[in-house]
Amino acid sequence: MERTVTVGTLESSDCIITLRKEDNPVIDIDTIVHDAFYDHIKRLITHILAEEQFDHLSVYCQDKGALDYTITARLITAIKRYRSLDNG
Amino acid sequence: MARSFLFIPGNVPRMLQNLDVFEADTIIVDLEDAIAYEEKDEARELTRAFFRAHPPHQPVYVRINTATQAMFEEDLHAIKDLPVRGIVLPKTTVKSLEETGAFFDEASINFDIIALIETPDAFFSIERIAANPRVKGLLLGGEDLTSATGSERTLEGQEILFARSQVILASKAHDKTAIDTPWTTMDDRALKRDTALAKTLGFDAKCAIHPNQVPTINSVLSPDPRAILQARRILAMHRKEGSMRFALDGKMIDKPVIERARKLLERAEKYGLLEGDRDDTR
Repeated sequence: MERTVTVGTLESSDCIITLRKEDNPVIDIDTIVHDAFYDHIKRLITHILAEEQFDHLSVYCQDKGALDYTITARLITAIKRYRSLDNG
Repeated sequence: MARSFLFIPGNVPRMLQNLDVFEADTIIVDLEDAIAYEEKDEARELTRAFFRAHPPHQPVYVRINTATQAMFEEDLHAIKDLPVRGIVLPKTTVKSLEETGAFFDEASINFDIIALIETPDAFFSIERIAANPRVKGLLLGGEDLTSATGSERTLEGQEILFARSQVILASKAHDKTAIDTPWTTMDDRALKRDTALAKTLGFDAKCAIHPNQVPTINSVLSPDPRAILQARRILAMHRKEGSMRFALDGKMIDKPVIERARKLLERAEKYGLLEGDRDDTR
């Protein structure tokens, strides 16, 4: 069964993080501040995934100008929810 | 002492990021009623991440979920090391306060508590709640209370007058902050009238549920210029007479009036409303 977890909103200053199990995991970022912050957001997500030892899923980030703390919180919540699915 | 306590939902980044511009004396980040059940974890994580990255410039309390719910402990674990002043404890009872205190002791948490008084039960032990040393303020929850009693909420607020008076008396008896229930419509004239009533009754502060309510609350609950002038005159006469009992404008002034004048000037100084001789506040 395909497991997908989605956290956050598309309101200003927020983002939606979606975790999905796929054969070839990717980090895909759609952001309104692509030119200035795409690389920064990708580094942040990669760093959190490494810290959480959670790099086996694809991460989709739809960003509406979220600051680092928001991306961090949404991604960590998504990881916790995915883990709770695994444990459930 | 704060005049305004502004509720902010803990799951909205643009609100959290703007705490500084709302001009509220104190912020209450809400993890309880403003957050849908399926978003509780999101709000908890977002609030934690925000305050770890952005220590607040004003006092912040977090309204956690009630002590009878499993989320109570999850909320406290999430915020226990954050730079916030304390928690707002919903539906406070003597029992829930004791349980919260035990949890604080076990987890070495040193938070202040604002007790949310919003159930009929709480009013039968409000004095014991106010006496608890962790409790720094009593906040009247008029909506939940009238929902529980089946009272109709009205513009005049007669249905909560007795509850308001009890919250004020218990707070003052134990030197705690008396915080009035929020006004739940966006009618500014009605908010002004309700806040003026709260001030007349003796509340120190009032809750706001929208940033637009804060300027009105701050304005009404600040000492007005005429009261400041009169307090200055009372203290000046007190110094001149060297007495706790004298006449001013044909009225007898005694110790309680002098103390009230002193407190009023202390509040006025705190809110930057005094000009000139700061000795008046002493």
